[in-house]
Amino acid sequence: MDIKGLSAIQKYAAARPATAVEDSPAQAMRAAATDFATTLAQTEQTAQTAMISDADPHALVTALAQTELAVETAVSVRNKMVEAYQEILRMPG
Amino acid sequence: MSAFSDALEVTSSGLRAQAMRLRHLSENISNADTPGYRRKTVPFETAFGSRDAVATVATGRVQLDQTTLDRIHDPSHPLADASGHYEGSNVSLLIELADAREAQRSYEANLKIFEQTRKMSSGLMELLRR
Repeated sequence: MDIKGLSAIQKYAAARPATAVEDSPAQAMRAAATDFATTLAQTEQTAQTAMISDADPHALVTALAQTELAVETAVSVRNKMVEAYQEILRMPG
Repeated sequence: MSAFSDALEVTSSGLRAQAMRLRHLSENISNADTPGYRRKTVPFETAFGSRDAVATVATGRVQLDQTTLDRIHDPSHPLADASGHYEGSNVSLLIELADAREAQRSYEANLKIFEQTRKMSSGLMELLRR
């Protein structure tokens, strides 16, 4: 193995701890999903109140914008994960 | 993402505060001719916390302006006293309209920031689309 390859391996080994999550990946996913569900539930509540009564329009718009943010994030994550899964399926052999 | 959520929260608090300010201004303008009406002023307060906490703005307690009321001379008015004067309101339409214009500007600035925050976060998500 030449010297350059060796230093690349060393750098990779050094960088690995930085990508580790504190809990297991499953728990991180669960926490993110709960957070997402909470945001959606709160927005739904605000939207219902706004439709029935004269609720604060600023709160409604903020809640909807937060939801839009959360949904966009979740969709992007889902797309990337599905893409990675499909890449692995495409492996020959 | 929490930085964007915080920005949205603060901006909406600013919008709400400016809307409340406009509401009190419109009350003042509508009651400019009501005898004995004192104009309402509302102070803005910021939520002081740790330096990293989100500093949302909120309206404080409504206060009545204590400057002297206008004395209007009209002996035929039902409320006129012995000298023929009655007390009007202490609302100056010029001040209220100027304040309303300022409130409008602040509201527009907050709207701009709201839009900007949404664009920035959408742009970030856009990176993953390719």
